[in-house]
Amino acid sequence: MDIYDVLIRDFPFLLKGLGVAIVLLAALLVIGFVLGMSICLLQLYGPKTRLLQWPLLLYERVFRGVPIIIMLFIFYYGISGVYDISAFAAAILAMGLRSAAYQSQIFRSAFQSVPAGQMMAARAMGMSKAKAIRHIIFPQAARHAIGPWTNEFSSEIKETSLAYVIGVVELTRQAHYIITSTQGNVLIVFAVVALLYFVLNRAGNSLLYAYERKLAVPGFEK
Amino acid sequence: MTDDLILDVQGVTKSYDGLEVLKGIGFGLRKGETKVLIGPSGSGKSTLLRCINYLTRPDAGRIFLSGEEVREGNIDAMRARMGFVFQDFNLFSHLTVLDNVRICQIKVSGIDRETATQRAQQELARVGLGDKAAAYPAELSGGQQQRVSIARALAMDPDVLLFDEPTSALDPELTNEVIRVMQQLARDGMTMVVVTHEMSFARQAADELIFMENGHIVEQGPPGNLFSHAASERTRAFLNVIAEHG
Repeated sequence: MDIYDVLIRDFPFLLKGLGVAIVLLAALLVIGFVLGMSICLLQLYGPKTRLLQWPLLLYERVFRGVPIIIMLFIFYYGISGVYDISAFAAAILAMGLRSAAYQSQIFRSAFQSVPAGQMMAARAMGMSKAKAIRHIIFPQAARHAIGPWTNEFSSEIKETSLAYVIGVVELTRQAHYIITSTQGNVLIVFAVVALLYFVLNRAGNSLLYAYERKLAVPGFEK
Repeated sequence: MTDDLILDVQGVTKSYDGLEVLKGIGFGLRKGETKVLIGPSGSGKSTLLRCINYLTRPDAGRIFLSGEEVREGNIDAMRARMGFVFQDFNLFSHLTVLDNVRICQIKVSGIDRETATQRAQQELARVGLGDKAAAYPAELSGGQQQRVSIARALAMDPDVLLFDEPTSALDPELTNEVIRVMQQLARDGMTMVVVTHEMSFARQAADELIFMENGHIVEQGPPGNLFSHAASERTRAFLNVIAEHG
């Protein structure tokens, strides 16, 4: 049986691995989005007390400053010592919390790129701060955030492959199983895997760019 | 009598880093009156205007709108009753002209969408932009943007309109189209406080000029009086310079 027969036979395993990678990606991006947006809003519009701002800053610095592999080890082996956590859950947690740190800074810079006059005009018309953020600042910040956010999306797709190191059976590990069972053919198997990551990446980015174009404001960004 | 005053500003002071920009300013405004604040740059005109609706918070002094005191606690409600027109327009750039004029009616005043739309179209027609409802701000000239921002303020049915150098960012041609709208508002009996260097507007539309310098009101009175025989030497000098260059 040559490698192409093996690939055809085992392709469902690769697809299953891709499915695991996609679920991991979706989960970590959602955690990162919700937490990252909260951190951004608290940093920009929350009380300026050190009691709140310092822990936020510390969180953001630590999660952006430590390699993801180390984070995966810490979360998996650290937590499984006290609580029986699956490798998959540990990966979602470690990568989601790290993505939150990155996304918070994407959103912060997007919010800050909205001219100060927009908030001033909204407040001068009688809007509360919360209403001004929701109806005036957020819709403009969201447009600024999509571009940088595609970067985060692309990075995270690729980094799901690192969950391999704590034993999550995602695409890269499935590929490794095939290689081990067929004694070689490293290049061809990984080329197929690379193609799968690439297609997923392009598909996701195309959707995001289409969304960006849909939201573009006439006379301003197009 | 303070009863018939729409706007009553009393003893407003404001300092930045020890520099006293406003040194106890007071003036009143009756319904339908237009007062124009003039004075050299740095005299405190814009700061005064921003203190009136707390965009800049005054250090001391009191402000009453139709007899009700403006406070930190009621500021959103009070601002909704004071239109503010900025030098650089500050239209909401992600919204169409129509949405710019109706969003605060809907989100602040709680007016239903249909009524807000009608009112918005009415105010856009009033500033001569009835045909621009679907455009976005970046597709308009500066003069058109400023007229939209006036319509946006008018749609809130304000007790008073505050203009902060509304034509300073515009070339002379665009300045004229904005000034014409403001003159019409003055004739229609709108109550307005206008910071401007447009002396033609001041002369024609103002019921009273207030000349400020160094955080003080130097002199105030009907434009005819001030232009022909201002009491203060400083006011005369300022008006002469403006007359030569304006």
